[in-house]
Amino acid sequence: MKRIKNKYDLVVVGGGHAGIEASLIAQKMGINVVLVSMDTKSVGRMSCNPAIGGLAKGQMVKELDVLGGHMAMFADMCTLQSKTLNLSKGRSVWSPRSQIDKIKYEKTVQKYIKRVGLPVLKGEAVSITEKGGKIKSVVLSSGEEIFCVSAILTCGTFLNGLIHIGEKKIKAGRMGEENSIGITESLQSLGFLSGRLKTGTPPRIKRSSVDWSSGEPGFGDKKPKPLSYHTKKFIPKDEPCFAFRTNKKTHDLILKNINKSPMYSGDIDSSGPRYCPSIEDKVYKFSHNPSHILQLEPEWTNSEQIYVNGFSTSLPEDIQLKCLKSVKGLENVEFLRPGYAIEYDFFFPSQLKNTLETKKIEGLFFAGQINGTSGYEEASSQGLMAGINASLKIKKEKELRLKRNDAYIGVLIDDLVIKDTNEPYRMFTSRAEYRLQLRASNADQRLLKYSKKFNLLDEKMIKDLTKKVKKTKEVEGILNKTNIKPEDINPFLKKSGEKEINQPTKASNLLKRPKVLLKNLPKIKKIQMNNINKNFIEEILFEAETKIKYSGYINRQKEEIEKTKVYEDMIIPADFDYNEIKSISNESREKLIQILPETIGQAQRINGIRPTDISILLVYLKRWFHVKRNVNLKKK
Amino acid sequence: MDTVVACSTPFGSSALSVVRVSGPKTKSFVLSLQKNTKKIKHSSPLLSSFLDEDGVVFDEGIITVFFGPNSYTGEDLAEISCHGNPIIVDQIISLACSFGCRIAEPGEFTKRAYLSGKLDISQAEAVSSLISSRSLEGAKLTYKNLGGELSANISSAKETLISVVGEIEFNLDISEEGLQPDLFTKSSQKILLLKNKMEEALSGFKKTNILNLGASVVIAGPTNAGKSTLFNLFLEQERAIISKVPGTTRDVLQDTINLKGMPIVLKDTAGIRKTKDKIEREGINKTQKELLSADLVLFLGKKEKRKKKDNKYIYIFNKSDIKKPASGEYDIQISALHGKNIKALKNLITKKLSGGSSVSSFILTSKRQVENIGRAKEHMELALKGLSTETSLELVVEDLNSSIFYLDKITKKTTKEDILSSIFSSFCVGK
Repeated sequence: MKRIKNKYDLVVVGGGHAGIEASLIAQKMGINVVLVSMDTKSVGRMSCNPAIGGLAKGQMVKELDVLGGHMAMFADMCTLQSKTLNLSKGRSVWSPRSQIDKIKYEKTVQKYIKRVGLPVLKGEAVSITEKGGKIKSVVLSSGEEIFCVSAILTCGTFLNGLIHIGEKKIKAGRMGEENSIGITESLQSLGFLSGRLKTGTPPRIKRSSVDWSSGEPGFGDKKPKPLSYHTKKFIPKDEPCFAFRTNKKTHDLILKNINKSPMYSGDIDSSGPRYCPSIEDKVYKFSHNPSHILQLEPEWTNSEQIYVNGFSTSLPEDIQLKCLKSVKGLENVEFLRPGYAIEYDFFFPSQLKNTLETKKIEGLFFAGQINGTSGYEEASSQGLMAGINASLKIKKEKELRLKRNDAYIGVLIDDLVIKDTNEPYRMFTSRAEYRLQLRASNADQRLLKYSKKFNLLDEKMIKDLTKKVKKTKEVEGILNKTNIKPEDINPFLKKSGEKEINQPTKASNLLKRPKVLLKNLPKIKKIQMNNINKNFIEEILFEAETKIKYSGYINRQKEEIEKTKVYEDMIIPADFDYNEIKSISNESREKLIQILPETIGQAQRINGIRPTDISILLVYLKRWFHVKRNVNLKKK
Repeated sequence: MDTVVACSTPFGSSALSVVRVSGPKTKSFVLSLQKNTKKIKHSSPLLSSFLDEDGVVFDEGIITVFFGPNSYTGEDLAEISCHGNPIIVDQIISLACSFGCRIAEPGEFTKRAYLSGKLDISQAEAVSSLISSRSLEGAKLTYKNLGGELSANISSAKETLISVVGEIEFNLDISEEGLQPDLFTKSSQKILLLKNKMEEALSGFKKTNILNLGASVVIAGPTNAGKSTLFNLFLEQERAIISKVPGTTRDVLQDTINLKGMPIVLKDTAGIRKTKDKIEREGINKTQKELLSADLVLFLGKKEKRKKKDNKYIYIFNKSDIKKPASGEYDIQISALHGKNIKALKNLITKKLSGGSSVSSFILTSKRQVENIGRAKEHMELALKGLSTETSLELVVEDLNSSIFYLDKITKKTTKEDILSSIFSSFCVGK
């Protein structure tokens, strides 16, 4: 029998999307890491919808890719359909999304983990031990104790998971998989505060039971683009999704039975996500909508299992079925699995530092749904950042903190640690005040500096992307300098109803007009693409054009960022005593004490904290430092 | 925070003066000042003798103590009414200082009220404006803001903006389908209404400003037109020298009068004519300068034909007792000498100064507010332009967010959560 090695630098608990990114990046950074999973066969499982990316999420996947994450690469290997959402809207909200073959995905992940030799341990973590405020070990249900310098908990929805289908309740982490008990209690006994959240998943139905001719097919892009810069060849199948519609009969059935839904009967009192409401919520709260769209999505190639997107529910199984049968095309529908709601424990993320390390116990990190987020991409992002920061800490190097203007990942973590969500947190582009700068197409320009600094990518990729970023800048410069003659552009301007020019005009000035694109300009000879990876050329031109189009707004934002920078860098000492401040409201003081912001910038963003509170805080901070210095002087 | 002290009534001899003390040492200072130390109760005036450091009584008065946070400043606050002798006031202040208090900086009591969250910034500004207001009507308007009327107005403007942003964000951020067809027109309409409201507020500021600071009204015209006679008439005293000699008035004379609750700085100027007299020429130069900066000019003369109609001018025909003017060249006829038709002139002046319209409920009282509202309005205009040319909606949102940002500077901060809440409450989100 193989003896279990019981000492690692880093233990990652949980083999979901957060755990995978955390352990893989740690391994890449040369850390002695082990991944602990209750069921090694479910590592990398996509437990809900068969898609990766989407609005705001697609941007995050691209960011992950530049920061050494793996999700984009895995997704590209299993794509059923690839589509850029929001193409009719502004380009900063263009978001890539891939429909994924779920079975292939987990297989790909597991194969990759095996190939790179990441140690995986089957076991259920039940408690955490600490010594002197530092993590000591992770204890498994088998009684084994794994000693470590750092641990990352990524327990997903498994913590005291409770599934609701109508009045039926099942203790589980996912349908058919055990939940995990013990960790919550162990963490609570260490002083961590937890809450309950709810999320839901729709039913899965049999492909053969659907009349597909009644649905409206939706295909992917004609020229699909991969999510990862690592992907060289990307020729996904283009499997369609099909749109079906609910009707009055469906809605009547739901309303008639609404008290059988545990959310409405009061069986579930934890909050569910407002952005992903159950069908009963949609019908009840938005009764003026005569119909809601249901997207039928394949879960894998030729899969018999179909995901009914838009029909998340916790109604009893027979009623779910009746409701679906009222939809045209689904009259004979058969279930493989009903939809359900799941309640689970999470830990208030305000107990974390920006590195995702807990404030209470050194070396202990939380990532993913345990922090109250929802979504594969949100989980992966945290996993990666926790993995990077745990590794840096083990190596005694300076941590990586992403700012809100660096990345959606920065927005995500900043939001988490300063606000206590009462619904699962999902990323939206509108959460990012610097959205214009956080495009899917410029993740490399924003984040390459970090991957270089911390060696998160292999050398070749760093080299290629550095060239790409440089080239983009160069093209932008050329466009800012090159004059376009009236005769070369006026025919186009005339045709598109734009004002014609009567003297040579800078290419950049023309590009600032909404209707003028780079491809409408005459060829500019100075723009050369020698030595550039072929796959990158299109994005280089697109980005140069975008940067010019947005320049007015982006420059203004940059000024704003510069102005607030001083607050972002102003650190509030961890032992600062808010009780000393008498003149702020009790409510504000409580919030500050509860959240313990790390910087003035964070304090400003806490919900309900007023500008006056900050003015007062600044006064006291100055005094605090003053007093501290005096004390130190006296000691000397 | 330290404890501050200041005399809250004007310096000089008067029947009573009030000294205010605010901060943690307030209570102990008051106890040391009183002769018979009694228990101090919140907000109950107490008659007491005042003692100096040697225990000698130097005055007697009323002390009222308010305990924080239920006081103006939110801290412990005492109002000490003493007899209005500067020496007594100084004595109390110096006693306080030797007790460890510090003399308050101008506006510090209000600043403390703001810092302790008793007033929001627009209310704090209202206080300062209320104190310096020179007319009853101005004070009334300003007082409305102290009650939070400005904050309420801004909040409602922000609500509208947030709902528009929410609607656009829903289309950008959540709906994976095409744009809502009426999104552009609906958003434009709402923003346009709001923009007009901002403009109204900005023009209203001019009026409030006049009411608070006083309007500058200049009497001008050719020599010997009776300007100084009119000036004296308004002042109801022989302030300016009057003679039949043209060019008697050389310098600008000014005095303050009150017309129907409106403070007016009335200025008499040198008559305009060609002259070789150096001193008189200097006077005429001064007149020209006054004309440029005046809020209103009472011109004792004809409208000049080549000049465009200027709303700042009232053309007055004086000496109506002697002759009659050609019609259409003047706004009004009076006789300054006999005081004829002066009431009508006064009406005309107040009407012109108040812009003829009633004041909107959206009142601004400081330059800072005007600047921020102005910026907010500019961004609304940019957003409107964006909507009309159907440029990228995310840029429209960018401008609307900037508008909200500037409005936030006047009152409370808007968070991203407010916008998300607006989205979730109005739209069915999720596929």
